[in-house]
Amino acid sequence: MNDDLQKKITDAIANPQNMGELPNADAVGTVGNSECGEMLRMWIKYKQDRGRKVIDKATFQSFGCETAIAVASLATELIKGKTAEEALSMKTDQLAGELGPLPPMKIHCAELVQGALRSALEPEMESKPTAGTPTSQPTSLLDSFSKPKEGGLKVVFLNEDKEIT
Amino acid sequence: MTTTTETIGAQSVMRDVLELYPGAQRALFRRYHIGGCSQCGFQPTETLAQVCQRNGELNVNEVLEHIRTSHEQDAKILIEPKALAQRLKQDTTIRLLDVRSREEFEAVHIEGSVLMSQPVMREIMAEGTNAHALVIIDHQGKQGLDAAAYFMGHGLTNVQCLRGGIDAWSQEVDPKVPRYRLG
Repeated sequence: MNDDLQKKITDAIANPQNMGELPNADAVGTVGNSECGEMLRMWIKYKQDRGRKVIDKATFQSFGCETAIAVASLATELIKGKTAEEALSMKTDQLAGELGPLPPMKIHCAELVQGALRSALEPEMESKPTAGTPTSQPTSLLDSFSKPKEGGLKVVFLNEDKEIT
Repeated sequence: MTTTTETIGAQSVMRDVLELYPGAQRALFRRYHIGGCSQCGFQPTETLAQVCQRNGELNVNEVLEHIRTSHEQDAKILIEPKALAQRLKQDTTIRLLDVRSREEFEAVHIEGSVLMSQPVMREIMAEGTNAHALVIIDHQGKQGLDAAAYFMGHGLTNVQCLRGGIDAWSQEVDPKVPRYRLG
């Protein structure tokens, strides 16, 4: 990671914005798991603005790396005043704001923020008509091998027909 | 526009491209960094031309040729179970990365392997080294190639995938590792 990016991250985490739980939030989204060392939770509060339901305030809590904290700090500022649809259309490099393009090894930090945002905002999108928006999430290699399997997995040994859940 | 014949072209939608060439997504990510995550992903309904256009106006014909040879590219990544067993005896620095679920890993795993998690992935990316081989293990060889392509698309070149996954390992190398199915 170059010195300039490291300085921007250090500056961002020296004075993080919007950290902590948001009382009376309208939506909460979580990605990761604190037990495995990386988790980010985001709270969203909406307001009405000229007939549009926009994000009034967003806060986060993170057990992730400092880059994730820096991106979350910037992203929670950048999504203010946007609708859920507008915020969801933001790519990771946009969410990272003034940090600029992240090196490959740090992209997943921004994806963590994007994941928490999606988790919090998608319920709002699901309650609205989706005309003009993609009907499915992009397919990706990352999802194919790292997405948690839904439902409890049962491992059944072939020789003994022994079932472990 | 959809493709109904066994050919793909610039106007083929990605769903059809992937159906005809299952390794296409891996091939696209390895070379062009397309389709790896939600940021660089594509919709099944997008045409190949659209994907190429919004990814730096890639040459569609070049991308098509790359996709058509994706099967051979996948084959180069695979390592046979017996060959891996032999290499493990000679090289103790090989990292075995298991991309199955925690439930499967806890039920059975190859000795010395590590379960994939975000911290493990972060560590591998941060190291960014090609000095030590990384071998991906899945259940039956279905998701491992995707994981290998993901790491290769991030610049790691010393990556391979166990052909047939831990299931093939059980049958061809170590019968003490029990075979299983997911119920």
